[in-house]
Amino acid sequence: MKKSSILLIAIIAVAIAMILVIYTDSSTYSTFSEAKEKQTELYVVGVLNKQKSLDYDPVKDPNHFSFHMFDNDSTECQVVFNGAKPQDIERSEQIVLTGKMDGNVFHASKILMKCPSKYNQDQMEVIESSSAFNAAITQ
Amino acid sequence: MDINFIGENLLPGQIGQFFVVLSFGAALLSFIAYFFSSKEPNDTTWKSIARGAFWINTISVITIGSILFYIIYNHLFEYHYAYAHSSKALPTHYIISSFWEGQEGSFWLWMFWQCVLSVVLVATAKSWESPVMTFVMLCQTFLASMLIGVEVFGTRVGSSPFILLRDAMNWPILSDPNYLSMISDGRGLNPLLQNYWMVIHPPTLFLGFASMIVPFAFAGAGLWQRRYKDWISPGLPWALFAVMILGAGIIMGSFWAYEALNFGGFWAWDPVENVSIIPWFTLIAAVHVMVAFKNSGQAYFTATFLALISFVLVIYASYLTRSGILGETSVHSFTSLGMSGQLIIFNAIFFFVMVGLLVWRRKEIPSTQKEEDIYSREFWLFIGALVLTVACIQIIATTSIPVFNAIFGTKVAPPIDPIPHYNKWQGAFAVVIMLVTGFTQFLKYKRSDHKKFWSAILVLLAVTLVVSAGVVFITKVYTNVMYILITFGAVFCILANGRILTDAFKGKWRLAGSAVSHIGFGLLLIGALVAAATSEVISQNSSGYIAVAGFDQVEKPGENLFLTEGEPVQMGDYRLTYIGDSVAMPNVFYKIKYENIDEETGKVKEEFVLMPFAQNNPQMGGLIGTPSTKHYITHDVYTLITAAASDSHSNDPKANDSERSGFEDYDEPATYEVNLGDTLRYRNGFFIVESINRDAKIENIPKGADDVIFGLKVRVVAADGKEFQAEPLFLIKDGNVFDFHKDVEEQGLRFRFSNIKPQVDKLEIMVYQKPLPEKKWVVFKAIKFPYINFFWCGTIVMTIGFLMAIYRRWKDNRAPRAS
Repeated sequence: MKKSSILLIAIIAVAIAMILVIYTDSSTYSTFSEAKEKQTELYVVGVLNKQKSLDYDPVKDPNHFSFHMFDNDSTECQVVFNGAKPQDIERSEQIVLTGKMDGNVFHASKILMKCPSKYNQDQMEVIESSSAFNAAITQ
Repeated sequence: MDINFIGENLLPGQIGQFFVVLSFGAALLSFIAYFFSSKEPNDTTWKSIARGAFWINTISVITIGSILFYIIYNHLFEYHYAYAHSSKALPTHYIISSFWEGQEGSFWLWMFWQCVLSVVLVATAKSWESPVMTFVMLCQTFLASMLIGVEVFGTRVGSSPFILLRDAMNWPILSDPNYLSMISDGRGLNPLLQNYWMVIHPPTLFLGFASMIVPFAFAGAGLWQRRYKDWISPGLPWALFAVMILGAGIIMGSFWAYEALNFGGFWAWDPVENVSIIPWFTLIAAVHVMVAFKNSGQAYFTATFLALISFVLVIYASYLTRSGILGETSVHSFTSLGMSGQLIIFNAIFFFVMVGLLVWRRKEIPSTQKEEDIYSREFWLFIGALVLTVACIQIIATTSIPVFNAIFGTKVAPPIDPIPHYNKWQGAFAVVIMLVTGFTQFLKYKRSDHKKFWSAILVLLAVTLVVSAGVVFITKVYTNVMYILITFGAVFCILANGRILTDAFKGKWRLAGSAVSHIGFGLLLIGALVAAATSEVISQNSSGYIAVAGFDQVEKPGENLFLTEGEPVQMGDYRLTYIGDSVAMPNVFYKIKYENIDEETGKVKEEFVLMPFAQNNPQMGGLIGTPSTKHYITHDVYTLITAAASDSHSNDPKANDSERSGFEDYDEPATYEVNLGDTLRYRNGFFIVESINRDAKIENIPKGADDVIFGLKVRVVAADGKEFQAEPLFLIKDGNVFDFHKDVEEQGLRFRFSNIKPQVDKLEIMVYQKPLPEKKWVVFKAIKFPYINFFWCGTIVMTIGFLMAIYRRWKDNRAPRAS
């Protein structure tokens, strides 16, 4: 089994390299202030500010939805999403945004919401909306 | 409980719960008895006990299912399961879907399939029955424990489908003796699941998951009983069956995602999709190495290990999807039932059984000291299996990030954009797999003739170059080197296996199954690649979008298009008109007319109406759209509603308030002094004051001698030519003046004959108009998926190939050939 042993070692090496790359690909859950510093695409977790208005006027622009969110440090920031308003965002308990900071506005490419079920508090539903339809396979 | 609740039907639940406990006890007894029967094959007592217990378990499982169905079907909302997953309005086929919407129902489904498979095993496995059934019944015991729902030493074990609503929830009203009369309906089925794929996708998928236990059991029994080489032949048809069914189940899921979910595609590398495909890959690898071992005696350990690990990964998949651990990363994982501990134990036990057996028998595991030849089929079967395994490791590693976070307390987030992340790895693996799948067909076991091999391969490579260049050109995937490589690999695989298939027509039918399934897989891959790589959003909306110069990553223009009812919009090749909607509660269908117009003549070349629909279900998350797709041979046009005018979603379409005589719904009235024969305009047409009716009557008001009642006949002509009549009344009774208005509902008009002025010979008429209703609008997305039919065809071809292979291996197992 010598040949296969050599192959096995090669394949294990590929696997290790792969896992390292997975972790370089991986991202972090961060805050708006970090997003300002880093200027890269990342996740921000937070809650919707229900005091401020959620603006979506499809008659004017069906691809512009803006709202305000507090991150986990309670920093508030305006968020702009290039797409339709996700249903039921008002009811969300927690929002996970994917996107990057642009000046003082966070541009979200994806919004993932956790909504409490109306009926029991320990059940969650998760709804996702994505503004960018992803064409598959990149280089 | 000393409250006497009214109207509860508690008997089905009590019977059901009894059978839940019985099924657990019977499975446990059957497991123990089969275990001892395997150790002492000559003592038939153990076997009789084991079989008896197995039949009791099977009957219990069927009874549980029947009672649960009875409860849901008859809307017994005193049971939490019926309340949480169904409602009275659901048609029967969706009642079936709601049966497995919850975790309890899907666990039951898994148990049920294991019973069915066990019946086949008991009938056919002969000397293998006891050891194989030992493993199956161990798994059945764990599954049954998931449904018990009883507290043991302060921890709840399992979650019963028969739990009562008042025990599951602590709402105040549930302590009212008459609470049932207050619960008018259940919460209903999630609209995303109201789709025919949801009726058949879960049963198929769970049959696939359930049948994965059989190869595990055979491999385990082989080690345990020291029948190392014997398990391959009976195990192979089962492994092929599991691969076929699980594959079909996964692709049905992707059909469902494509047709019913608003994900905008058929595969999104969502964690839930990933965990189902991992065991499928490992078992495919196992099948190939089993075949290699059978023919060459090489790679026994790999074959056994892969068959065992596949089922461990099935349990891992159900841990990930059912424990709630994916909550942050997945769209459609189950919510937690607080059973993650139980699932971890289930997973760990099977993992340790696997490791234990392999370590225990490590010295006896057959291995050959002989080096495989590089020009041998078994060598490359082995390599292919390893590549598949490495592909799995990549999927597992990324999908398990939440698990690593939970174990190590880290806060790593998955890749921002998972699809390219997975594609760059899996694309490379796919190329290698396709090439290996192609040229290995030209190698023989043990040793092949180098010259013959290379001459065949070189010819094939030349043909592949030409054909794949054509495919790349026609499908327009030349934008990316990876796309070209995958296409090349897949074409190579299809041609090589097609070449083998031509031999089959010359009478070598034995290899036809593998060739057909490989061709199917190649087609599937090309279809997936082309559809995903060249799909375009055709509702691209660049208005209101300003590219900012210097902004390094310019945002994409929006993908949602706004349509107002009756106003056509040009979109790519099509002219689109939103022509209205029809309501079939709870769904609203939006009719969108597509017209393809010939630029030169202006004639409509083709025309069709797509009806994507949406459900406004505030309890389930607002407006949930379901796509509608126009299928062509070469592409699909896919349409999805993302938002709609709220008034088309009033929950009761028949609520009209014409009974109310209030004037608050109308704009300020216009008062005209008119003569008979006058024509006046209103917003949507005109009306003619025709005549006075001096014999008008008013119900319930007797006409006194001095009283006067006049009706004023008005003819309304709307812009679309429709005519309406109205006759407002004027009344002088006992010297007082009254008037009675009349409405033309359809036009939102209200007329009052408010005065008669003889001195100026004029009649006074007041016209009220309702404000124009806001025009209905929808916001939608449209995506074009080219050549997706390859994907579906490939699936069908692959499944046929598996069927052929199963038949052949089953026959081989019945009548072993002298090899």
